[in-house]
Amino acid sequence: MRYLIKNGSIIDPARRVATIGNVLVENGKVVQVIDLADLTVAPEPLDEHTEVINARGAVIAPGFLDLHAHVREPGDEHKETIETATKAAAAGGFTTLCVMPDTRPAIDCAAVARQVRDIARRRGLVRIEPIGAITLGRAGQTLTEMAELVEAGCVGFSDEGNPVADAAVMRNALAYAAMLDTPIMAHCEDTRLTRGWGMHDGAVSIRLGLPGYPAAAEEAMVARDIALAEMTGAHLHICHVSTAGSVALIRAAKARGVRVTAEVTPHHLTLTDQWVLGNLAMVRIEGKSLQRGSPDRVEIGEEGLDLPSRLKPSLLPPYHTSTRVRPPLRTEQDVEALIEGLRDGTIDAIVSDHEPQSAVDKECEYRLAAPGISSLETALGLALTLVHRGKLDLVDLVARFTEGPATVLGRAPATLRPGSPADIVIFNPDSPWTVDPAKFFSKGRNTPLAGQQLRGQVMLTMCRGQIVFRRGNFGVGTGALQQASRLEGILGSENED
Amino acid sequence: MSVPAAAETKRERRRHVLDLDDFTMQEIDEILDTAVSMKEVLGRAIKQVPTLRGKTIVNMFFEESTRTRISFELAGKALSANVVNFTARGSSVEKGESLIDTVRTLQALGADMLVMRHGESGAPYLVAHHFHGSVINAGDGRHAHPTQALLDLFTVRQRLGHIEGLKVVIVGDILHSRVARSNLWGFTRMGASVTLCAPRTLIGPESFWKATWPDLIISSNLDECIRDADVIMTLRLQKERMEGGLIPSLREYSRFFAITAERVARAAPHCLVMHPGPMNEGVEIMPDVAVSAQSVIEEQVANGVAVRMALLYRLSGE
Repeated sequence: MRYLIKNGSIIDPARRVATIGNVLVENGKVVQVIDLADLTVAPEPLDEHTEVINARGAVIAPGFLDLHAHVREPGDEHKETIETATKAAAAGGFTTLCVMPDTRPAIDCAAVARQVRDIARRRGLVRIEPIGAITLGRAGQTLTEMAELVEAGCVGFSDEGNPVADAAVMRNALAYAAMLDTPIMAHCEDTRLTRGWGMHDGAVSIRLGLPGYPAAAEEAMVARDIALAEMTGAHLHICHVSTAGSVALIRAAKARGVRVTAEVTPHHLTLTDQWVLGNLAMVRIEGKSLQRGSPDRVEIGEEGLDLPSRLKPSLLPPYHTSTRVRPPLRTEQDVEALIEGLRDGTIDAIVSDHEPQSAVDKECEYRLAAPGISSLETALGLALTLVHRGKLDLVDLVARFTEGPATVLGRAPATLRPGSPADIVIFNPDSPWTVDPAKFFSKGRNTPLAGQQLRGQVMLTMCRGQIVFRRGNFGVGTGALQQASRLEGILGSENED
Repeated sequence: MSVPAAAETKRERRRHVLDLDDFTMQEIDEILDTAVSMKEVLGRAIKQVPTLRGKTIVNMFFEESTRTRISFELAGKALSANVVNFTARGSSVEKGESLIDTVRTLQALGADMLVMRHGESGAPYLVAHHFHGSVINAGDGRHAHPTQALLDLFTVRQRLGHIEGLKVVIVGDILHSRVARSNLWGFTRMGASVTLCAPRTLIGPESFWKATWPDLIISSNLDECIRDADVIMTLRLQKERMEGGLIPSLREYSRFFAITAERVARAAPHCLVMHPGPMNEGVEIMPDVAVSAQSVIEEQVANGVAVRMALLYRLSGE
């Protein structure tokens, strides 16, 4: 099959290209990219085997690479399967998922890694690349057979969710992984400081009486692991950075040449611990001027809360378990620091940290609820709030979904250069939509964003030249076989809409 | 999960009592006024009025409690409600049945009001979200104990005539205390000035508190902050706090944070000494202070029934 994706805004960070043009795909590869403003290039002729996809007003970009997803298979197929996770991924614009080893059994030997890849080959819509465990059973003691795991296709190592507590084990893991030129992807948490945690340790946890997960629990571990990476020369990748202090530590380490990279989730970039207050966040108490009989509290608009977006926590009741995520949602200062880190390159990648949970794991008391957000299908829309607020350039955002994560894996970034595999996402950066978890492809309906309006939505995703997701009948236009006209591309034409 | 509905706790007629954070000064005044009438009922030969006849109140206690449960039971019975006690130890998860299932069952059985005590902060909000009747929080985790705070406000108002302008010092394990949090809402809302006094390990960073209650005073020096206090409220120190390494020893805690006669002498002459119970005499409060003329500890317990009657009455919409 041959596809001509025409008249879209092509953003290809790896080639430093952002232009309006056409992309021609054939036999799973990008064949030609035409910048409509470049009059020296002649378009390939079209034939009846070419499907024209009209991408006017939409962005055409390389498919997103997610360094951090939990797909629950094998072991917890009631929460998610590779099949459902890859459908969700396709709907979210991701064409590659690196999957965390916290399955049952854990991906701690080559056989399980091969099994995951095998299931993915048979039932996955997008590419799956396993991340191996650092230690057997993710128990923090004995190193896995890392060389064999790499041979079996593992792209990194992580004990995700069970951070390696013993510094000596971590030191050995880093040194061994350095030999294999494979990153250790560290979930940084000192679990002694987070025992019994409910939410971020701060003003909201004090008000709600929930035990805190201090920022220092993350930062202490980030600092330890950076020191160990510096000592061993290994590549350390810090998972889901959530605090301003971690950003500062990583920035300083990068500046002195430590091989450290970092990732952040869309929810940590946009939501705060205020979300656990839910509708209580709207009520602000007037301190001093209490007069008998006068109203002693004021309802304030959410804009007045200076939340880092127009998102409305007030749609949730207090203590809604959909806001429980690990690491927890932090403060506005942390959010600002994370955005700055993303802008200046301290943080390399945006990842979903897709963590689907079943309803029974969430419909319970706050602290007892399983942490996690089902995020593949909202990741782009949520991250785009940064662009809409003028905090981040659209090209930089796309780079953090494509080029950045590729760099972490030490590979050439996905690109739309002719000859490259046709892993492509087409998204409308502006179209408003309302999050409805009932419509998720993921089995995990756990999201704090239910009912929120986001701007920006994936319209079509192509993996290996196949359309793996299409919203409605996006791109099906009239006059499909017409030769793409340059003027039509630049100026638009009447029969397009 | 379904899209959660917006707040059920605000505006119009009150349906739930989950914390004091959404009470106005006026509403608290009204409840305390009603409690005065209820106290009068309790002083009669026949301590019962027919107000809640035909209503069913379930006391749902997931944590041990003697005084609060009995107090609610007596309050319900004095208003002629059918009162059922349901005690389940451990969390709902350990029991195998989820909290939501338990609530649905009680609803099917015809409960009109749920009075609940639970070890997890926020559990009453979950219940309120799923229960069609009224929910009264009788203590949730570290979060809130609104009826305790109301009875404390009532006791202070009865004894000192007003609350506005008073200096209230709350001493002890603030970090883990739902009583402290609800009293903080209650007393500040009524115009009192509140000081929290605790070792730093049992309160956490000052800025975390000031973000919600900017006028609060936080101290670790009891001798200093007790000066001129109108109300001293001390909290139970759980023995586990020592085992958890939060304080070096009960002995040291007691030396610096116990309410002693010498310390009470530095407060205002009319100063009230309060304790939500149960007390560790000799740890957070000395036995002679607990039974002194300034102690209103037993009165707090007695007033609890009247205040809870007032709340039940208000929620019933009569």
